[in-house]
Amino acid sequence: MAYLPKLFLGVFPLYMGVELALAFTLLNKCSGFYGILGLFTGHALDTMQWLLYLSSVCTVLVYSSALVQIYKPQLLMYSLTLVVFCADTVLTCFFTLWFSGQWFSAQHGELTDPNSQTQQSQTPELQSKYKRGDTLDSQSASQSAEFFLTILITLLALASRFYFNFIIMAFVQRLFRHPKYIVDVNDVEQDLKHKNLLQRWWLKAQHASYKLCRRYLA
Amino acid sequence: MSNVFQRVFLSRRPAGSRVADLETSLDPSLTLRKLRNYTLSTADACHYGFLGSVLLFVFVMNPAAWIAKIAVYLVFGVLFMLPATSQFFFNALPIFTWLALYFTSSSFSAEHRPPITVQVLPAIETILYGDNLSDILAASLNKPLDFLAWIPYGLFHFGAPFVVAIILFLCGPPTILRGYAFAFGYMNLFGVMSQNLFPAAPPWYKILYGLSPANYAMKGSPGGLGRIDQYLGISLYTDGFSNSAVIFGALPSLHSGCSTMEALFFSYVFPKLTPLFIFYVCWLWWSTMYLTHHYFVDLIAGSVLSYAIFQYTKYFHLPLTEPSEYSRWSYAEVKKFSVWLADPLNTDANDIENIVVPARADMELELNSMENSEPPSIFDHDRSVSRSSATSNTSVEAQSEAVPSSRPAKHRID
Repeated sequence: MAYLPKLFLGVFPLYMGVELALAFTLLNKCSGFYGILGLFTGHALDTMQWLLYLSSVCTVLVYSSALVQIYKPQLLMYSLTLVVFCADTVLTCFFTLWFSGQWFSAQHGELTDPNSQTQQSQTPELQSKYKRGDTLDSQSASQSAEFFLTILITLLALASRFYFNFIIMAFVQRLFRHPKYIVDVNDVEQDLKHKNLLQRWWLKAQHASYKLCRRYLA
Repeated sequence: MSNVFQRVFLSRRPAGSRVADLETSLDPSLTLRKLRNYTLSTADACHYGFLGSVLLFVFVMNPAAWIAKIAVYLVFGVLFMLPATSQFFFNALPIFTWLALYFTSSSFSAEHRPPITVQVLPAIETILYGDNLSDILAASLNKPLDFLAWIPYGLFHFGAPFVVAIILFLCGPPTILRGYAFAFGYMNLFGVMSQNLFPAAPPWYKILYGLSPANYAMKGSPGGLGRIDQYLGISLYTDGFSNSAVIFGALPSLHSGCSTMEALFFSYVFPKLTPLFIFYVCWLWWSTMYLTHHYFVDLIAGSVLSYAIFQYTKYFHLPLTEPSEYSRWSYAEVKKFSVWLADPLNTDANDIENIVVPARADMELELNSMENSEPPSIFDHDRSVSRSSATSNTSVEAQSEAVPSSRPAKHRID
């Protein structure tokens, strides 16, 4: 882990990058709530969508807890955040591949099915309303340009996610090496006895993440 | 009325404080004097250079008569020169630049515009968020939901920036309004530039035409707001959106960007009400998709743009707020954010308890360098202090004072 970035974008302190990373990811993860809200419109979700939306909702809890303490970070919380972020990055790659397949197969149907809205909109009435000469045709992106831009934006989103992952990793590593953030593990064990079940899980997850991060980053 | 204002806003005013005072002079020589004493920083050069370039572009491209354009620029020049008006108008320069570019956008000829994408946004929405969320949320329509969606999208959106500006001016620290104008203006300006450079069809297009190719001869659509026009017997939204300056400007959503910016500024001044502001943004997001005006990815792009610009403004422009104060006149001074002091990884050189433990490689280097040196002596207090525990709660100065040197300092010859 010797090559982790020391500054965000080579200029700014790491905490700024972590703040942006968590906020941007948090905004994206709100999709989970809207995906589940879609159930109220009568739209059924398949297994992969359930998995994506529920995992998004769970990560919202972790990232928002970390974001509010960015100026006074706790090592245990940030260890958990890092582990969740890393797992989330792997899951995001998997979901991206999966739903890319879904989209491109659906798009093929939309473009070729005679009953689709795309085919239906090509009625003589509409064609006369928006008559397309050579000039007007060129105003719309070609099929290859649409495909290229879709892939480009998807790859850029993934690349930025990986970069932010490294920024958070570098931040947690610096926290481990900073005496101000040293954690007394015995305190964590003692705390568990006085907490309810959810809090115990939360603290146990933090503790397990802390040990994992200490092993590879400290 | 003045008594209420006095009691609510001026009762905690510090004696002799002038930071909240407004300029009332109409004498342009004051502005000229300030201008002579002004030193241009690199950040200001970029700021004014960028806005100046956009305004020059608008000046050339806008189809209005030259005389009219010159007259408008002269009026603004006069407003910038008078101190009483300049304090508001000059600081709102990013907002005026955005408006100038937005209203000029409709005049760009089709051959100079980039090609319109129709499939990219729904594709990205499915790939990143698992489904066409905007499509799904607009699948079930009814009258109460139409009105619920209309309130933030068709009403609050247009009035909120003014309401937020007034409340920030009255309740925030002095100069916060300047920061709000900067952030709000730049967010919208970058948004409109993106909408022009990357034209993309909104969800209403997909509902009307599927994934068919688009062209600039097509009229815009009010989407779900057309139903509001029908309910109210008006054609406000139908006319407005049909002739919009940027019809294929789905990315980013400036409705989302504006609401996020308003929520961020309000959360900055009234942190206890943050959940309420988050709820407003979420409400507007839903209404935007319900009314088929934006894909979810557009909303995220707008909010991300807002957040990035707000963070920049917070770190480099905004005044710090005092949690106990709720009036601009209660502030005795204006403090700015310190990027260095706020860094949780920052180490104070005087804080011996929090010296950063060196990385393992450095440790080895240090130990190797000590191999041939003399063994440490407990009587050599200079050296023992230098190797004391990092968690010692005794400062160097305290040790030096408590144990006076019993022998002269030893000079090392390595």
